[in-house]
Amino acid sequence: MNHRKMYEPGTIMLLVGTKRGLFLLTSQDRKTWDVESTAMNGSRVFFATLDQRDGQRLFAADNGDFFGSFLRYSDDFGQTWHDPEVGIQFPEGGQYKLENIWTIVPGRPDEPGIVYAGVDPASLWVSKDGGVHWEINAGLANHPTRENWLPGAGGLCLHTIVADPTNSERMWVGISSVGCMRTDDGGKTWVFANKNTRASFLPDPYPEYGQCIHRFVQHPKNPNILYQQNHCGIYKSLNAGDDWIDIQHNLPSEFGFPIALDAHNPDTVYVIVENPYGRNNVDDHFTVYRTVNGGEDWQALTEGLPTGPGVRLGVLRHGMCADTLDPCGVYVGTNTGQLFATNNRGDSWRLIADFLPSIYSVTATVLV
Amino acid sequence: MKSPNAIPSVTVKLPQLLRQKAGNLTSVTVSGSTIREIIDALDANYPGLKFNLCYETGKLRPYVNVFLNGENIRYMQDLDTPVHMGATIYILQSVAGGRS
Repeated sequence: MNHRKMYEPGTIMLLVGTKRGLFLLTSQDRKTWDVESTAMNGSRVFFATLDQRDGQRLFAADNGDFFGSFLRYSDDFGQTWHDPEVGIQFPEGGQYKLENIWTIVPGRPDEPGIVYAGVDPASLWVSKDGGVHWEINAGLANHPTRENWLPGAGGLCLHTIVADPTNSERMWVGISSVGCMRTDDGGKTWVFANKNTRASFLPDPYPEYGQCIHRFVQHPKNPNILYQQNHCGIYKSLNAGDDWIDIQHNLPSEFGFPIALDAHNPDTVYVIVENPYGRNNVDDHFTVYRTVNGGEDWQALTEGLPTGPGVRLGVLRHGMCADTLDPCGVYVGTNTGQLFATNNRGDSWRLIADFLPSIYSVTATVLV
Repeated sequence: MKSPNAIPSVTVKLPQLLRQKAGNLTSVTVSGSTIREIIDALDANYPGLKFNLCYETGKLRPYVNVFLNGENIRYMQDLDTPVHMGATIYILQSVAGGRS
C-alpha cells in the first residue's frame, strides 16, 4: 500500500512538466530544494498544476508518443494516477482528433470542482466535478471563423486560459495562432481581443485574428489589465483586451514565449525574449527581463544566470512562473533541462535542478 | 460443420503499455472480420483501448503498428484488412527515435 506523501503547509511546490515525465521540487525556504520524480515518467508532460480548492488534486497533461494524450489526476502528489470517467476526446467518427493537451487551469476560487483545459485542436474543455467528467465548450468550438484558423509551429493549440476571478461570466483564452479571445457571457459567445497586436507574418499585420499569442497573464488587483507575450511583441491591455499597447521599449527582441508577474507588485512583469531564429538567449547571456513600472522600461537580470559563447538556452511558453510569496520567487525551466530560481524578485538567480529532460512547464504552489 | 459465416476469433498480443487496461493480460481473444472490427471488439471488452490505438477520426495512430500473421496491415488494407479464424495479431508501438 502506498503511503500518501505529506508535505508541511507552507511548502513551495514546483511541478515541472518535461519531455520525459513529471517532476516535483519542494522547499521550505526557497534556498534548498528537493527533487522528486513521479509515477508519470516517460511521457511528454506539457503541463501540470495543483488544485487546492478542495483537497489537493494534481492535474497533468500526459501526451504520450504512441497511444494518445490524456488528462490525468492524482490525489497523492503523483504516486498514483487516475483517468477521468469521461475524458477529453472528440466525437468518434468526426473531423477532429485530439493532438495534445496544452494547459489545465483550476477554476475560480468560489467555484470548486470547475477545471478548465486547453488542447490542440484549439478548444476549451470544462469539468464541473474536479476532473472526472469533461465536456467541450461549444461556443468556442463552433465559432463562425473556426474554419479559417491556422496553426502555429506547435499546432493549433489553446495554451492559455484566464478565468476572471472578479467576473464569473468573463474569461480569456490564448490560441496559436488565432490570438486572444474573450467571453463575457460565460462561454456562450467569444470575441477576438487582438486589436493593435502585430502579426508581421501576415499580409495585413493587424488583422482581427491570426496573431500568434504565446502567453498572457492578468493583473491580480486590476482585472482589466492584461500582459501578453506575442510572437511579434510584448503588449499590455488596460481594457480587458479591447486593445493593446506595445510595451517592448528597450527589450532587445520582440520574440519570446513565457510571461509572469509578481502578485504583490503587479506592475512587475517578467519576460524572456529570445533570438527569434535560434529561439534562445539573444546574446551570450541567458537573461530574464523585468519591468517594475508596467512595461515603461525593462531591466536585464543576469546575476547567477549562465553566460558564455556556449550558452544557448530557450524557455517555452509555460516554462516560467512566479509564486505568490513576497518577495516573489520566479522559476525558469529551459528546454535543455535546467531549472533556475530567484527568491528576491529576480535580483539574483540560482540553478536548482539540472539534467532534467527538456522542460515544458513550471507551475508553483504554496501548499496550504 | 463450421459455419461459413462464423465471425473469426483471433488472438491479439498487446504491448506492455496497454496490458494494464486489459487486466494485465499479454494476449486476449476477440472476434471480428476485419482489423477495424477487432479493435471495436477490444474496446467493447476493455473500454478505452480503441482511443489508445486510433484517433477519433478513425485512423490508426501513426506510431501504432498492427501485424496480422506477421504482416503490417499498413501494407495490406489497413483497418479494413480481413482477418481469418485463428489469426494472431500483434499490436506494437513503432521503434522510433533519433529525431529529437
